Amino acid sequence: MNIHFDKVIPIPLSGISHSAQSIWGSSFSLNKGEKVMLNASSGKGKTTFTHTLAGIRNDFNGKIRFDEKEITSFSPTAWADLRKNKISFVFQDLQLFPQLTVEENLQLKNQLTDTFSAKTLKEMLKALEIEDKWKVPCGILSMGQQQRVAIIRALSQPFDWLIMDEPFSHLDEENTQRSLQLIDERANQLNAGFVLTTLGEDHSFNFNRTLNL
Amino acid sequence: MVKKILFSYQNKTQLIIAMIGSFLGFTFLVTSIHYLIRVNEFGEGEDILGNNTMIIQKEVNNYSSMKMTKTDFSQREIESIRNESFTESLQPILSNSFGVSLQTDSELVPYFRSDVFVQSVDNEFTKIDAAAWKWEPGDEFVPIVLPRDFLVMLNTFASAKGIPQVSDDLAKTIGFKFTLYNDEKKDWEKVKIVGFTNEVSAILVPASFMEYGNATFPTSVPAKTTQLMLTVKEGRFGEFENYLEKRSLESKENSMIVGKLKSVAGTLFSILIGISVITVFLAGLVLIQYAQLLISRNEYEIRTLLRQGYAPNHIIRTIILYFIKVFAIIAGASLLVFGVAKFFIDELLVQGGIHIASGYTLLSILSVVIAFGIYTVVNYFNAKKGILKSR
Repeated sequence: MNIHFDKVIPIPLSGISHSAQSIWGSSFSLNKGEKVMLNASSGKGKTTFTHTLAGIRNDFNGKIRFDEKEITSFSPTAWADLRKNKISFVFQDLQLFPQLTVEENLQLKNQLTDTFSAKTLKEMLKALEIEDKWKVPCGILSMGQQQRVAIIRALSQPFDWLIMDEPFSHLDEENTQRSLQLIDERANQLNAGFVLTTLGEDHSFNFNRTLNL
Repeated sequence: MVKKILFSYQNKTQLIIAMIGSFLGFTFLVTSIHYLIRVNEFGEGEDILGNNTMIIQKEVNNYSSMKMTKTDFSQREIESIRNESFTESLQPILSNSFGVSLQTDSELVPYFRSDVFVQSVDNEFTKIDAAAWKWEPGDEFVPIVLPRDFLVMLNTFASAKGIPQVSDDLAKTIGFKFTLYNDEKKDWEKVKIVGFTNEVSAILVPASFMEYGNATFPTSVPAKTTQLMLTVKEGRFGEFENYLEKRSLESKENSMIVGKLKSVAGTLFSILIGISVITVFLAGLVLIQYAQLLISRNEYEIRTLLRQGYAPNHIIRTIILYFIKVFAIIAGASLLVFGVAKFFIDELLVQGGIHIASGYTLLSILSVVIAFGIYTVVNYFNAKKGILKSR
């Protein structure tokens, strides 16, 4: 699935000026398999970008298409199908269920498509050094640990695109690298692309493209 | 897991209060509808006349005995009664103006003969099979309905003569015949008893036979309408009784008492049904409000599930199934309590000499099913609206 932007400007951001390099107001495409860094300072619309692609917000001018279909035409059921099979998210606020354990949070997502076994999920937790949190409610984990759980959850489904909104903001560099490696491996496995929004840090990763807001 | 997220961390006090309210409403509803139906059925089949059907006539007093007042109904009076709000249907009773006597016509029973008085009513007022209640000249016999008092009198006569008495069933097999006559001629017709009545004092015959007798054996005495057959609307006996009193009319007391009792009990049960419906409605509102509150408190959870790829229908189904179980518990408990209450109420009624059918009434059970259905449908649309709002 390719994503096409056609002169998209979020209505709340239409009153401020954007640089010539900004994607807002430009026409461009994100092709499947591309690894994209979306670079912006605070308040430029990184979360708006993520929420717009997730179908959470419709307050924008211009057109966004998944392949040839405008995203404003999707029904709630069509969005559910897309979020289950085509496009996955790590939201800035993570959107975990604090009362559920790490296992329950991961399985809640995983059981929709039966992507991984419990063993694989535990291995992914181990890769990010939080395998001991399997039975711990997410609400009592640190923000860094919660971010890692949210990343693994986002990987636990088939996808063409993974959209991540500052997913490493509470991680040290070592855990960031581990997480990025896990994301890259999974994306390569699925021949999928991802968009990583950052405040300018590329984490020494070799992105295919860099976009600015 | 979705169920755990949505329902495990809820304060259930409001739900329990609403469930108790609904349970009481459902129980009263099913009980009151059941007994309203049974009260309306009460007395059916005991007489040949239709339900709530009775004969009215003008009170006979000293003045009428001296022919100072009339005891027959004019056409205007008949129309006036027909137009009253309590009247379901009304028809004048045709009486014979020819001479008629009834006698036994069988070698198996002793000879008995008596001048009698016959009347005819339309079949719509009786519960006699329409096929059996017809006659035309040349038919083998005339079907008749005999006043039960007549049979009692016959048995008293038989007892005095030292001959066996006859039961209702036996009387229907005994041969009788009518002698029809006037001053100039005489004829005979075989008759067959097809039923008995406590409400009418004369022998009832089909209207075609009465018309034949009046036309074939005319007399100088003009036919007068002194009695009317009237069916009272359900629950209007109070009005009917007041009318009779005001107009110096009378009817048989026992049919009036049954009618009044049914009217009073019917009104009471109707009030109870009204209260039950209001209770079910209010409890339903509380349950729906609880469901709205549940969706509203779980807004974050529902929104997150949707963002993780859960289809709205999946979440709606989870909520609906939960409430279907709640409604099923309420309906099941109501039917169970109704079954137990019915057992004791029926026992009390039997002890009080009131025999009503012991089976369950379909409509009362159906009322619970309908209430259950309405709750489910309203809750479905409520859940759908709430969930689609959480994006």
